[in-house]
Amino acid sequence: MAVPHDASASAGRRRRPVRWELPALVAAAVAPLLVPPLGGGLGGQVTILFIYAILALALNVMVGFTGILHLGIAALFGIGGYTAAILTVPTLPFGWPFAAAATAAVAVAAGAGLLLAAPTLRLRGDYLAIVTLGFGEVVKVALRNLEEITGGMQGLGPVPPPGAALEIGGIDLGREFVVDPRWFYWLALAALAAVVSGLRWLEGSRLGRAMAAVREDELAAAAVGVPVGRVKLAAFAISSAIAGLAGCLYVTSLSTTADPNTYDFQRSVLMLCAVILGGLGSIPGTLAGVAILVGFDTVLAPRADAWLQQVGLNTTGSSILSFSGWRLAVFGMVLIVMMRFRPEGLLPTRRGAGKLPPAAGNSEN
Amino acid sequence: MHPRTLLAGLVLAAVLTGCRGSDPGLVRIVSSLPRTGSARQQSDTVVRGIRMAIEEAGGRAGPFRIDYLDLDDSTAATGLWTSEAEAANARAALQDPDVVAYIGTLNSGSARVSMPILNYGDLLMVSPATTAVGLTKPDLGEFGEPEVYRPTGRRNFIRVIPADDLQGPLAADWAAGRGFERVFVLDDGDAYGKGIADLFAERCRELGLTVLGQDSIDPKAQEFRSLMATVAAAGPDLVYFGGTTQSKGGQVAKDLAATGIESPLLVPDGCLEPAFIEAAGREAVEGRCYVTFGGIAPERLTGRGRAFVERYEKLHGEPPEAFAVYGYEAARVAIHAITAAGVKDRRAITDAALAIRDFDGPLGRWSVDANGDTTLAALTVLAVRDGRFAFEEQLEAGGVDPGKAKTVVENGGEG
Amino acid sequence: MSLALPLAETVMSLEFIAQQVVIGLASGSLIALVALGYTMVYGVVGLVNFAHGDLFMLGGCLAVTLVEAAGPPQAGAPAAVGILLLVVLCGLFCGGLNLAVDRLVYRPLRESPKLAPLVSSIGVSFIFMNLGLFWIGPSDRSFPSLVPADNLLPFESLRFSSRDLLVVAVVVPLMAGLAVLVRSTRSGKAMRAVAQDPTAAALVGVNVEKVIGATFFLGGFLAGAASVVYAATITTIGFQMGFQTGLYAFTAAVLGGIGSIPGAVVGGLVIGLVRALGGACLGERWAGGIVFAVLIAVLVFRPEGLFGRRQREKV
Repeated sequence: MAVPHDASASAGRRRRPVRWELPALVAAAVAPLLVPPLGGGLGGQVTILFIYAILALALNVMVGFTGILHLGIAALFGIGGYTAAILTVPTLPFGWPFAAAATAAVAVAAGAGLLLAAPTLRLRGDYLAIVTLGFGEVVKVALRNLEEITGGMQGLGPVPPPGAALEIGGIDLGREFVVDPRWFYWLALAALAAVVSGLRWLEGSRLGRAMAAVREDELAAAAVGVPVGRVKLAAFAISSAIAGLAGCLYVTSLSTTADPNTYDFQRSVLMLCAVILGGLGSIPGTLAGVAILVGFDTVLAPRADAWLQQVGLNTTGSSILSFSGWRLAVFGMVLIVMMRFRPEGLLPTRRGAGKLPPAAGNSEN
Repeated sequence: MHPRTLLAGLVLAAVLTGCRGSDPGLVRIVSSLPRTGSARQQSDTVVRGIRMAIEEAGGRAGPFRIDYLDLDDSTAATGLWTSEAEAANARAALQDPDVVAYIGTLNSGSARVSMPILNYGDLLMVSPATTAVGLTKPDLGEFGEPEVYRPTGRRNFIRVIPADDLQGPLAADWAAGRGFERVFVLDDGDAYGKGIADLFAERCRELGLTVLGQDSIDPKAQEFRSLMATVAAAGPDLVYFGGTTQSKGGQVAKDLAATGIESPLLVPDGCLEPAFIEAAGREAVEGRCYVTFGGIAPERLTGRGRAFVERYEKLHGEPPEAFAVYGYEAARVAIHAITAAGVKDRRAITDAALAIRDFDGPLGRWSVDANGDTTLAALTVLAVRDGRFAFEEQLEAGGVDPGKAKTVVENGGEG
Repeated sequence: MSLALPLAETVMSLEFIAQQVVIGLASGSLIALVALGYTMVYGVVGLVNFAHGDLFMLGGCLAVTLVEAAGPPQAGAPAAVGILLLVVLCGLFCGGLNLAVDRLVYRPLRESPKLAPLVSSIGVSFIFMNLGLFWIGPSDRSFPSLVPADNLLPFESLRFSSRDLLVVAVVVPLMAGLAVLVRSTRSGKAMRAVAQDPTAAALVGVNVEKVIGATFFLGGFLAGAASVVYAATITTIGFQMGFQTGLYAFTAAVLGGIGSIPGAVVGGLVIGLVRALGGACLGERWAGGIVFAVLIAVLVFRPEGLFGRRQREKV
């Protein structure tokens, strides 16, 4: 009996029990208790991985689910982070608690995303990508120059840890967050788990199917009544909200926003790399992509470089002899090789959704 | 690759990196400095100073053996310090039970990142080079500084170099003394650069000099011709740039000269490195660039300072750069604190450091004041001549002059 | 941004504005040369070549290396010949590199979805940047001052230096040459044909791949030439300079109408002026932001730019 591909796939997803998410989540949650380094410095670095995974998933909603190339996700990341910082740092008169600031960060980022989306709905794929790139640059410059609010090049700091000045059972929660990295690890892991399950649900929902339709063929989707404009707006909003959450967590884990140049095109491209490597539209793929690329960049490369210095193979600190010196070329090669040989990514979705949209997108400019 | 395999691999990697047990007879001193990029020359001299101090102490502090770890707070890709790297270093130091002292950083911006983190752990932080006022002095920095860097309310930060509330205003005093009347002030927008530029401009106004304008540059811009045209149109006789070599100090000097402006350039100690002269190109700064340094130039050190310079030259085959002796002194402070405390307890060691009085060393005799600052107060002005930094003038601000240290002690007072 | 009052008055002076115009036009001409590369490649293959700005940077790296290898600079006629030689060498290098990248990376993707070569060009851009990092190191390199920064004009407050003269001396002939090439030669006609309709051009016997290769080469040559002039006038090369310059040049190409050669020239000059005058009026810190705001505004409200034609969209 011919069942529409669509219905069976989504019905299958509804029936199919959660395969890898739960065991992976449990393993990750328990790991710091079993593996001491994860309770130490390594735990802090894995936390950063979780945060970047959230950001990459945000980008995946745009590029993977909806087929819109977004080159400015780092700007939304920064907006979320700065919002959280503005509302919590003691140098400004707000001083909100973490949960409220996080909510605000998500909301403001979503709003910024909608602001970015509104004028771009009628643009073709490559023009839209450039607009998101330009938006990223404008946000960066604005963050740098609106010194009164954003602290300019110095960034905002120190950002208090969650639960600062909160005492539960005699334990200063804020201090615990700084001194013991496992708290942040679990917080970030919880956020990541929430995002993953939320996106899983989105994939199977009506909006998710509409996004897939827009990705495959925008004109055809419009022809069968999919409200393309609203779907794109929703994609921007959801993606920006998630990016804002990641930004809030990032800034809090760093205890500073860092300077605005941190939220630049290179960071957006790093996320794009991870998503493309893993497989567009594929949630496990994105996680794998982040683990490989960001894991290499943030965890492995510095350790390997330190080892090289200690062993005496790179005493002058030259870039060529260090692993981190090659990172740009590595990211570049990943993009080129993946586009050429395996555009669906390492862990493609079942439906092979990991392809960039066939046409440039819209029928109008 | 299945996600589960990935996770297993990650766990394996974690295990392989090993868990370090704590050795009760060992203490660890770490330094967090930018070790890549053009700042490497500066940080190399600081690290050499630190190593010299540890060597001279025989690798021991009281009953403990000293282990030294040289951490990098910059990344190879940018050649600049990053908040991520600095925060990672601070947390790693906190989590390592053997670490009892943290020598860092070179840049005020990165100190702002690690100070509150280390404060939570009561870990002693000694800085050889960060001079932004807000790190320690109340009412001078941004709103809330310096309390925001002490979330526990306790202090843990000391610096062995005078802050910019000395360097900035004294530079203005020097400028007024030289007869300059119209200044244009530029800065790189960062904590250190803008901070010292603001202090300089304020003091200029107090002294009656005309501040024609103040603007921040974009440290990522390639050239400043348009900005220099604006500066030229204002007709200054002195241009000040608050910033470092890494935040385009060299390019500012270059474009200033190229625009035909004849006024000299005055820069703070962030540009005190050969990389600055290289970046600007010799012709752009020869005879028309002055650098202030909130400390004593190596060639002017006397007594123990002179001995340090000679020993450094013998060991490394070249004279020390400006910050070498401050790295040396910072390490000496850490070693003294560990010895004085006698126990491997971070709070005790930090308290011992904060209690330093009449500490005798290559910089002279100095004490730690209530804010964690040094009581030393000398400013040196250097000029760029023959492609090198040549001593120009030394100014005091009522502090302890190393040549007069003995006299001050006899008078029973501190600076 | 805090300008003291005396300066605010100066801003209004005619000479000051004229000076900013001179600076803006000089930097704008260099931006235009680089913009030409973007626009020509987009015209024939519909690709926004992200790596073009970094190609420009690599040209600068080669220029610095060659000059340092050649030894101490001599003023006067030998310097002029030297610079001309550098222009040709760096032009050939960048042109060849651009052509090679097209053959290796973009050509296999001609039939792929349009965004695949775009993403690949981002990859190439990063590889170029890494190459630049290894080549000249993480800090900026100084290019020796071969051309003096003097003032050829007799005015006190208006400067036009030998460096600005160099810009004119190189940019004008190159653009004129390009115009002649595109308008009057057979190859130029072939380029215009492919830009208009590749299938039709192939049908009338134009070797489309050869034309595309020639376009990449030509665009790269112009970027290489621009990098030498940039090195000689700004005298600083950094491995990250390709990004900002590239973005400015791309904005110029879009402003002028991407695909349009006169558009790229006009766009370049306009962007140079916007940057100089905007920075002078609103403060140096906002200069970059103003240019990107222009980019967004053009793309959103008039994507075909000043001279472009509306792109026909195949369904």
